[in-house]
Amino acid sequence: MSQYETGDDHRGRTATKVAEDYTAGYAAGYRGSLGGTPVVAFENVSKHYGRLRAVDGLSLDLRAGETVALLGPNGAGKSTSLDMLLALRKPTSGKIQMFGSDPYHAVKSGRVGAMLQSGGLMPEVTVRELVTLVTTLHPKPEPIDTTLKRAGITQFADQRVDRLSGGQTQRVRFALAICGKSELIVLDEPTAAMDVETRRLFWTSMKEEVAQGRTLLFATHYLEEADQAADRILVINRGRLLADGTPAEIKARAGAKRLSFRLDQVDEPFLLGLPGLVNLEVRRDVVQIQSSDSDATLYAVLDAGYRPHEIEVTSLGLEQAFLAITAEDDRANGHDSTNGHAAGETN
Amino acid sequence: MSGTLALTRTELRRLMRNRRYFIFTVALPVVLYLLLGRQFSGKVYGVSFGAFYMVDMAMLGAFSGALSGNAQRISQEKKDGWIRQLRLTSLPAYAYVVSKVIVSMATTVTSIVIVLLLGRFYGNVHLAAWQWLAVAATIWFSATIFAALAVAIGYRVAPDQVQPITFILYFGFAILGGIWYPLSGALKTIGQVTPTYQAVKIGTDIIEGASVSVGLAIGLVVWLGIFVALATVAVRSTAETV
Repeated sequence: MSQYETGDDHRGRTATKVAEDYTAGYAAGYRGSLGGTPVVAFENVSKHYGRLRAVDGLSLDLRAGETVALLGPNGAGKSTSLDMLLALRKPTSGKIQMFGSDPYHAVKSGRVGAMLQSGGLMPEVTVRELVTLVTTLHPKPEPIDTTLKRAGITQFADQRVDRLSGGQTQRVRFALAICGKSELIVLDEPTAAMDVETRRLFWTSMKEEVAQGRTLLFATHYLEEADQAADRILVINRGRLLADGTPAEIKARAGAKRLSFRLDQVDEPFLLGLPGLVNLEVRRDVVQIQSSDSDATLYAVLDAGYRPHEIEVTSLGLEQAFLAITAEDDRANGHDSTNGHAAGETN
Repeated sequence: MSGTLALTRTELRRLMRNRRYFIFTVALPVVLYLLLGRQFSGKVYGVSFGAFYMVDMAMLGAFSGALSGNAQRISQEKKDGWIRQLRLTSLPAYAYVVSKVIVSMATTVTSIVIVLLLGRFYGNVHLAAWQWLAVAATIWFSATIFAALAVAIGYRVAPDQVQPITFILYFGFAILGGIWYPLSGALKTIGQVTPTYQAVKIGTDIIEGASVSVGLAIGLVVWLGIFVALATVAVRSTAETV
């Protein structure tokens, strides 16, 4: 877990701690029953398109039964990573394993069900005909009516695939991902084009899939979704893994607390030197600090002899944590954070 | 193999719902034959006009059906990501192309049989059983060559550019191959290397009872080789973008 290069000492220490905590919690929770081969393992995987590094030295492990969100802005390398995992693209370097075998054979043996953003449907057939076809092709098929019901598409099963709305199409794609007894389900931006209600229904049925012991990996740029659905989040930006932990841990990373207080005599140079400080705002006597370690920041203020009043410590949402993590990474690498590395997006 | 068959069955079902396909593959040659099949006397390529035109129209429907419809569909399905979706199933990599070729062969055989029946009962073409079979097989095989070309185009060319390209190829092979008007003179020197001419000439040679030139048969095999090579390169080189 040495993904947290660069930056000052303090940040490095926090990051390492998150990773260790995660590993420890993980081992405690899953020890015994699930040891052994990871479901998915990326070993220093890179994918270059000419000079562009869409994925750049990515290493990660997924264990059986986990629900993992791959979170990153557009062009972060999410789709490319999933494409390589599903044997649709070949890594420029590095190694990917699924269930201890290469991705191609894992896919062909039906152990993975996938729903891609770029995956299309056969036109001119009905939903039922399409689901039936893909089910027939699966080595371990589920009953077709079960799949239709789980995906919530029974009521329009006899409509033609090319006459569906965007949200309905997404649900048919989802049906194709769950029409067999696959152990791993991979979803790329599954709820794009879904309205709020459909999205809620989608995650309800997805949780049922996971409850059956399946492993789920989904890519998203909706933070709420990662927060609510995943028990582990991998934050990636510009093809590299920036953070790996539970939603709570990710929030704790990189200035995830806001500390505010009033101070009669504001000494800005002193404040800027505080431990854990990520961002500082001063408006007259009101000081607002974004901190990766609010306790250390506050103690340092007190130790220096200051007696601030109206002290408030609040948690930032995942969104701010995420923005902070990626912006930090972009700054460290001399990139404009609004640029978003869009050229990496493949579709 | 059972997966490939399942895909092929679904593909066939789709095709039955597509009327535009039948206009070019079946309706156009049938209408032309009804209009012109009995209008001329005299001999073309050593056989009666009715017999020549039967072979000619069977080839027209079959090769245009194998070429235009398939190229358009493959290109569209590549763009939509259906080929990608299929790669996530346990189907072997070749299954998609194989099923397209099988479906193409199933539809061209329908159009060939219809046109030959028309030749027999409307054009008064009388042949021995083996001749009917040999003519049908020649055209069937020759149309399949164009299914390979369609795969090459479909994988390489974006959907909105497929139509102009197949249109040019369709007219090129039809005119140079003597489908619209029998080849003679200078045009024949160029035209006789086309698979469309070679197929029709083998057909009329069979009807005439003349010995079929080995050169023509080799020509067809060479075209098959060229188109299969183009298709293979197209499929392989687009593997990362499909």
